[in-house]
Amino acid sequence: MSMKALNHLVARSIVDPSVVISFNDGRISDVLSECEFAPEMRANLAQLEASSFAEYAMYAYRIVKAAEEAEVSIKMPSPLEGLLPRDSRADQEQVA
Amino acid sequence: MIPITRKEREWFLDTIALGLVEYMGIAEPPVPVEELLNHPPELYQDDFGVVDMRSNLWDATFARPLTQRGNIFVRLDLEPNERRYALAREMLSALLTSRHGRAMGLADVFLPELRDSADYFARAILMPSNFVHNRNGSDQKPEAIADDFQVTPSMACERCEDLHRHLS
Repeated sequence: MSMKALNHLVARSIVDPSVVISFNDGRISDVLSECEFAPEMRANLAQLEASSFAEYAMYAYRIVKAAEEAEVSIKMPSPLEGLLPRDSRADQEQVA
Repeated sequence: MIPITRKEREWFLDTIALGLVEYMGIAEPPVPVEELLNHPPELYQDDFGVVDMRSNLWDATFARPLTQRGNIFVRLDLEPNERRYALAREMLSALLTSRHGRAMGLADVFLPELRDSADYFARAILMPSNFVHNRNGSDQKPEAIADDFQVTPSMACERCEDLHRHLS
């Protein structure tokens, strides 16, 4: 979701001067509040410092990408648990 | 400017290309690049224009005479698909040197690899990623894709390779 929001923000920035003006005025949080970022991500992005909006977009991409990759790795099943749901594992109920 | 990877640079190019396509309200291929240049967003009124010229030296080049509107000078005798590609490629220079592009700091990101970035941008705006993904059920032959997007088959192949690389 955050990458989608970031894509929307950067896509908007190329045709909407208010995004870049807000950034240059130190008010990027105003624009971020209009985007569908999770609250924690929005707070992180609001604190980023960069010398231009383009540089800001690059930092934001790295943060959002890293968060998404971390989320994927959390969702991956542990190799200790195996790939099957607990209920269907053979060691839960032995036949006979 | 911070050093950036190719993948990051291409993400940025894909995203701003999508921004322009969405702004024009285009929902399906082909993307009318020349129309975008002739009727740009108000922000780029002084930056986008097309001038036909007779030349054997290049297919197209962007130039901005001092205190005048920027224009893409394009060879008159190009095939339609080659013309679309040349105009799309030079559009990145128009964006970079525009007042808004300078305010965004685009040149810092794209100037170090300008030729590569411009070629990628051309593929990204002529074949936006969502348009390519949306035709997954259709004929996947390069000629069919090229026909849909009005690009050359070799460009269609390159774009598919771009998008495949991003998945890995």
